[in-house]
Amino acid sequence: MSGVDRRVGGDWQHSLRKLGSSQQVILLGTIIALFIIFNATNSAFSSVDFVLFPLIRDTSVIAIVGLAQLCVLSLGHLNLAVGRMAAVGAMSAGFCYEVLQAPLWLGLLAGLATGALIGAITGLIIVASGVNSFVVTLAMDFALLGFVSFIYMTFTDASAYTVQPEGMDQLRQGSFADLCFAGICGPPVIPLMIIPALLALGSVGCMFKYSRTGRELLATGSNLKAAQLSGIPVDRRIVLAHTLSGLLAGLGGVMLGFVNGSFSAAIGDEFLLPSFLAPVLGGTALTGGAVAVFGTFLGALLTLLIRQGLVVQGIGLEALNITLGLILLFALSVGQIRKRKFTMRKRSFTMLKRRAIR
Amino acid sequence: MNLLKRFSATDVSLSGIFIAGFLLLAVTSGGTLLTGQSLQSFFTYLAIPILIGLAQMVVLSIGQMNLAVGAMGGAATAIMAVAMTEGGLPIWLALLVGFLSATAMGAVNGALVVMTNLNGFIITLGTMTILLGVQYSLVRSFTIDSYSEALKGFGRLGLGPIPYIFLIAILTAAVLAFFFTRSAPGRRILATGGNDAAARLSGISNKRSVFLAHTISGMLLGVAAIVTISSLGGINRSIGGDWLLLSFAAPIIGGVLMSGGTVAIYGTVMAAGVIRLVDIARAEYSLDPSVVSFTIGIVVLSTVTLSEWRRRRSEVLRQGRKVLE
Amino acid sequence: MNDALVATGLSKSFPGVKALEGVNLTLRPGTVHALLGENGAGKSTLIKVITGVHAANEGVLALNGEPRTFASPVDATRAGVGVVHQERNLIPDFSVEENITLQDPPRKNGIIDRAKRTEQAAAALKSIGVDLDLKAKVQTLSVAQMQLVEIAKALVTKTKVLLLDEPTASISGSEADKLFEVVRVLRDSGTAILFVSHKLEEVFEICDTVTVLRDGVSVLESADLAKYSRSQIVELMVGRQLAALATRLRTVDRTSVPALELISLNTSLGHKNVSLDVHRGEILGLYGLVGAGRSELARTVLGLHSVLSGEVRVNGRAVKIRGVGEALNSFRIGYVTENRKEEGVFLDFTVTRNIAVTVWRRIANRFGMVRRSGEESVAAKFIDSLGIKVSGPDQLAGNLSGGNQQKVSLAKWLAAETEILIIDEPTVGVDVRTKAAFHELILDLADQGLAILLISSDLPEIVNLADNILVMNGYMVLGELENTKNYPTISRQVMGMIHDVSVGN
Repeated sequence: MSGVDRRVGGDWQHSLRKLGSSQQVILLGTIIALFIIFNATNSAFSSVDFVLFPLIRDTSVIAIVGLAQLCVLSLGHLNLAVGRMAAVGAMSAGFCYEVLQAPLWLGLLAGLATGALIGAITGLIIVASGVNSFVVTLAMDFALLGFVSFIYMTFTDASAYTVQPEGMDQLRQGSFADLCFAGICGPPVIPLMIIPALLALGSVGCMFKYSRTGRELLATGSNLKAAQLSGIPVDRRIVLAHTLSGLLAGLGGVMLGFVNGSFSAAIGDEFLLPSFLAPVLGGTALTGGAVAVFGTFLGALLTLLIRQGLVVQGIGLEALNITLGLILLFALSVGQIRKRKFTMRKRSFTMLKRRAIR
Repeated sequence: MNLLKRFSATDVSLSGIFIAGFLLLAVTSGGTLLTGQSLQSFFTYLAIPILIGLAQMVVLSIGQMNLAVGAMGGAATAIMAVAMTEGGLPIWLALLVGFLSATAMGAVNGALVVMTNLNGFIITLGTMTILLGVQYSLVRSFTIDSYSEALKGFGRLGLGPIPYIFLIAILTAAVLAFFFTRSAPGRRILATGGNDAAARLSGISNKRSVFLAHTISGMLLGVAAIVTISSLGGINRSIGGDWLLLSFAAPIIGGVLMSGGTVAIYGTVMAAGVIRLVDIARAEYSLDPSVVSFTIGIVVLSTVTLSEWRRRRSEVLRQGRKVLE
Repeated sequence: MNDALVATGLSKSFPGVKALEGVNLTLRPGTVHALLGENGAGKSTLIKVITGVHAANEGVLALNGEPRTFASPVDATRAGVGVVHQERNLIPDFSVEENITLQDPPRKNGIIDRAKRTEQAAAALKSIGVDLDLKAKVQTLSVAQMQLVEIAKALVTKTKVLLLDEPTASISGSEADKLFEVVRVLRDSGTAILFVSHKLEEVFEICDTVTVLRDGVSVLESADLAKYSRSQIVELMVGRQLAALATRLRTVDRTSVPALELISLNTSLGHKNVSLDVHRGEILGLYGLVGAGRSELARTVLGLHSVLSGEVRVNGRAVKIRGVGEALNSFRIGYVTENRKEEGVFLDFTVTRNIAVTVWRRIANRFGMVRRSGEESVAAKFIDSLGIKVSGPDQLAGNLSGGNQQKVSLAKWLAAETEILIIDEPTVGVDVRTKAAFHELILDLADQGLAILLISSDLPEIVNLADNILVMNGYMVLGELENTKNYPTISRQVMGMIHDVSVGN
């Protein structure tokens, strides 16, 4: 009877959820298939130096930026200032290198710290004002845009910090071929820049999968009221998520600075769309409460693979944008059907809340 | 009295700020702001912020957002330019084609939102990317300026120092105000934004409202594209690139709620004026352009924070009153 | 005269719950008909079926003698069945006149005809003898005024049958008097009115006929109200359905230091001089009608609202609690919420995670890592001991039935090893069997030494479970009773306190 129907429904949902993690399998399959296709149609695609190495290096950067977005998506929030936070991070690293003559690690640390600081401020504003994250991060983006270009215009000659500390070049050009243990060296196709990305993926993944904090973030994203009434310090968790988002954005900005060889206000300009694409393609819900950390790496890889593949095919930037937009819309519509049952329920709650006017 | 009542507190304070700021700038600039040339450029470049602010406001009124404002405007402008240069269409036809394509883009946004049940944010993020691609592939890295001088000249024509394109923007705002205050579809959109459950119980189709709001947003961007092409000497791929933040700033400062159910046409126009003044002041004191975005960012942040606090306080007061009764 | 609306043999079931079973209802023009019943008796379901929100599984609905089925609320409104819900269904930013005419605004060529709109709205308000500023925005009105606007709105669409769902729940006495005047005006003009209320004195004041629902069955059908006394109606409402449940006699040591004690508490929400104490092993029942301020009191104890004066004591020590986390971790207080779906469970989390949410802090290791096996063992224990029906520990909480969701919501607090448990309306919307199981559970918890503050609007539940009963109304404590578990006496005393009458012995 009805109880049995329920059970059947449960299993159906359950297997759909299982399928959710296999979204990453599908993603991986797509990546491999595209790789083979691109390879078959253009032999230039298999060039390590010109295609594959930069592809993986860019993926590392975008995966980190995707993680920055994922941290706030876990709450159901958005961070529209992700690119500008990256710019601030890159700027402080550049400042350290050029003005303070700081070593590589110190600049990186400064970038992370400033990113985290800006993120924390954003989180605090959201919590204290109760204004939704969209507006706050949008305005933050505005303010930081002004701030960053002002600093570069005022304190640099060429609108960029160009001093390269020792080790930056090796990091940019270096690959696993440079890492040798007992005479065995790694493959030259894997750039050294993947290491910070793997570290970030590992720690963020660990946080969401195994730690109390990660679970509390997801609980807050799943149902704020219930989380609060279960004794979770939701305000602190919101600030934390935005702080992490800022920290990771800062890391992404500094890494892009390493790749570019200079630190300018343009860093982060192109981050916004991929920052959503990577986690969402990977299976992260926009409504909060569920994240896919490893999927974010695959999402970033797929995005950049398509971009790189089309570029090698000689297709212009224009068609690229169109393709990426279509992919986003498609992936989201599919994801929506998967999520629909729950979002609809959620929506009817917010509707109920809004209906009580008084 | 009745007329005054129609203006909200935000409207009044924004008008005050605008007038005071305008006078201050006029005085500190030694009167140069009041010369025909300066006045003309002031109004010319005020038309765009007004139109894109209104385009965003319409979508905000149903509690959604349109991230594609810049891309839609840019793509429509590119379509007009290419239609005239490569397509050889007469001016009026090219402008019409551009306007209609902007409207169609809005309609597609609306249809996608209704069909997928996804938030407007994510749909327009997708269409933004697609339209940027369209815009770039039309314009490439060139500046298209080989279209009729007559059109470019139109941007400089006007009633005294007030250019026609500014009047177009004001006229559009007036039509929109009429639409939202007097027409049945306009009221239905606001009812949907204000309380969708109640609207549904009153027989209003929320889907139709959502679709219509996005379509009107597209139409307004079509007008913005016409104004753009006739006020600039040429079209390149950067058109629309800086519209997004501006489009949110004007309505939000103007008193429109992110949660939907309200429009503030006068407020949006005035806020656009204030933003324009910041820009003028920047030029006047030869400050870096970055100052403008910084200022606007801070202003938006404080505006929303203040209004949220005010809302919360009035809620607490109301609750207190209820208990007292 | 023709009957305006006749419902015959209406039945409606939801998964796991039979909400209505063969209910009959007859509404005649020019009468006010009371629909009475306790929470969960099926009143709202009946209203939803009549107004086209839900379709009935069985039964016939006839309007003016013609059988009708309503596909949607709009359909029902068009047919002349108007309803004023408990939630306000108005557009906050619109004026009074526009809200009144929202259903079908007068227009010429798509343009709203303002003069005609004012005219229509003014006529609607005049017909119920109400004077309101037609141009005022609805959001500036009081709740009572909004209700009048909704009634006027219903009249514009030529309503023959008007349903008022607890119209006085959130308005003051003098506002209610105004509302009754309007109801009388409508009655005299020939409208059939269905009046749903918990407040018996109001019902006797304005209603002519009455239907009483109990557990989804109409125990009194369209009877003449004048033939019944208040106490008879109360007994029909509460029935004796709990006679079957085991009432356990318990002894509580009330000499020990109370686990939770409130002393003359005044709060920012308006509680006045509230005092209570709960001892270990005791169940204190907090009875009151919806809106009496009980849940709000619980939330104040948890630190979600501020205390203006008075004291909260935990185990005899005066404390200041600043949030749920502190209440749990420092004082071992848990709160099982009333709205389980909105505030109790994480619908898209697994059952395991839902239960473990309160113990993450405890089972985390030094580095803040939580082992899945740790979560699973905690969850398994309570899935088993509470008898939560799941397909597996990884089933999503959103796929459970209401009763099982409620158990999950309770399980997380048991897992947290709380010593003081505030349970808010534990059995609203769950079927009788689950209800009985829940009652056993709560009694067992008290036997194990938990101090339990049980909030309920379900009097039989309170009588069955509580050791002492505290009656609340209007954010104040009206009095405390020792529970003799003798239902008729207790119910008379409690109803007497709330309705301020002494119900005949």
